[in-house]
Amino acid sequence: MLDLRLPSGLFFAIIGVILIAISFTNPRAPMTDSNVDLYTGLVMLVFGGFLLLLAQRGRQA
Amino acid sequence: MHLSAVDYVVLILYFIFVIGIGWRLRKSVTTAGEFLTAGHHVPVWITSLAFLAANLGAQEVVGMAASGAKYGIMTSHFYWVGAVPAMLFVGVFMMPFYYGSKARSVPEYLKMRFDEKTRGLNAITFAIMTLFSSGISMYALAKMFNLVLGWNFNNSILLSGAIVLAYTYLGGLTSAIYNEVLQFFLIVLGFSPLAILAVTRAGGWTGIQQRLPDVMTHAWKYVGHPEQNPMGVEAFGLIAGLGFVLSFGYWCTDFLVIQRAMAADSMSAARRTPLLAAFPKMIMPFIVILPGIAALALTKMGSGYSLPPKGAGYDYDQALTTLMAQFYPSGMLGVGLTALMASFMSGMAGNVTAFNTVFTYDIYQGYIRPNANDRHYLTVGRVTTVVGIGLSIATAYVAAQFNDIMDFLQLVFGFVNAPLFATFLLGMFWKRATGHGAFAGLLSGTAAAALTHGLTAAEGKGAWIAQIHSFPSQMAQNFWIAIFAWSTCFLVTVLVSLATAPHAESRLRGLVYGLTDVPHDAAAKWYQQPATLAIVVAVALVFLNLVFL
Repeated sequence: MLDLRLPSGLFFAIIGVILIAISFTNPRAPMTDSNVDLYTGLVMLVFGGFLLLLAQRGRQA
Repeated sequence: MHLSAVDYVVLILYFIFVIGIGWRLRKSVTTAGEFLTAGHHVPVWITSLAFLAANLGAQEVVGMAASGAKYGIMTSHFYWVGAVPAMLFVGVFMMPFYYGSKARSVPEYLKMRFDEKTRGLNAITFAIMTLFSSGISMYALAKMFNLVLGWNFNNSILLSGAIVLAYTYLGGLTSAIYNEVLQFFLIVLGFSPLAILAVTRAGGWTGIQQRLPDVMTHAWKYVGHPEQNPMGVEAFGLIAGLGFVLSFGYWCTDFLVIQRAMAADSMSAARRTPLLAAFPKMIMPFIVILPGIAALALTKMGSGYSLPPKGAGYDYDQALTTLMAQFYPSGMLGVGLTALMASFMSGMAGNVTAFNTVFTYDIYQGYIRPNANDRHYLTVGRVTTVVGIGLSIATAYVAAQFNDIMDFLQLVFGFVNAPLFATFLLGMFWKRATGHGAFAGLLSGTAAAALTHGLTAAEGKGAWIAQIHSFPSQMAQNFWIAIFAWSTCFLVTVLVSLATAPHAESRLRGLVYGLTDVPHDAAAKWYQQPATLAIVVAVALVFLNLVFL
């Protein structure tokens, strides 16, 4: 059976990397000064990595 | 709203992943049971999140933000009053009978507990309602994408239908459930930044409190009189109508959600499914309602943002998408729209997989071809998936053409659903309840709902027989229709049951309280026990209501 943590972890890690990559040159949104892409990208990368880590540990067990 | 290339990349990646999950799961589907009921081997963390996500359609996400802007924090009643208590009840008290009965669907439980006609009534009405709600949400989504992004209505419908078809056809219920979890993560990660950004910009919760009328930031202070609050409801109607009848009627009897819990790998996991789902459910108001409230505050404070005007007021349904356009740069905009798409797909796949199972087991196997082999039912299940999605698409076009018909049908569905919980409550906890009683109760409950609607008016609707009472809002009218329908069903079921021959106790074993051994799960640790989880949720719930009193 497929371990769901694997594809979901991968999905969020990839989206996270994409957001971080574009965040440095991307113009800000009209109503905020925060670099929204960078922060959410980091959160998604960490979340995705966490799921992948759990999947990895699950496989070893 | 303008999308750039990176936004489309996010959307397409998402499509690839959902179909990929279906593709990877296709080999695990070899029997009708695996296709339609996921073979009872889905881990509990997955069933819990799917339990929540299947209910979390796009209409809910968009609608709750709209409702937040229109009614303020009182909208949280749909969660803290109108959902979480019922989720605790179904997990602690009702799941032992659903899971223990070995029924494959909720209508099948009714057949075991009551009789064929009660099951038939429930199965057929459920199947029709599921298709229609799937079609209606499809229509709403395509209309919204057309309005916000200028996407072609037909293409939106066909694309979303095709993707849901691909992954449910390939992997059946397991695939739908797995994808619902991915969709749930995406909804949370895609919308919470919006809540944080919008609320911060509006000056935090204290800033919002200063800028909006007191009634928008208090959930309970103004429910003494319907004239005092924008919902036009009063405490009794709210608690009894929404918190008891409607909420328990949905969360404790609707096969769409119960199916997720029934897919769990053990009785203990099935009971924990709604209880664990209650934790994120409690938090959802902060993600979906707060942005709406913040949108109104931002409009009032002249921040540069304004809710789009509509008539004398605002077009609240656009609260979420207009906020996204203001607070999300490209990239995140793609994530937000993908989350919207995901919430729509999780709702639609939920409907399709529930329709599948009820049609195949309760209608096809029940009335059309009872004794075929398993392979045959697997094929029927697959064909039903295709037909079900086709019919949803057809419904979406009917909705686009004839808005009045849809309003009328939703009204009738409400009448059919309102009495349901009385039937299940008596069925599970009173062994004397009989099939004739249940059937008569359901029919008279629906009739009572229609009658209440025909005799009362609200916002110019109803009172098509005569007007003997008028409600301050349609919401209040709905709550009271539910209360009358439930009470009638309860009373008629009891009376007719007492007048008809009781079912033999041997037939009711495992189906009714008092004739069922609820297994004590010695393997579960204290923090995994249903009672412990329910108490923790209940305490947190009281706390949340006090904070936003």
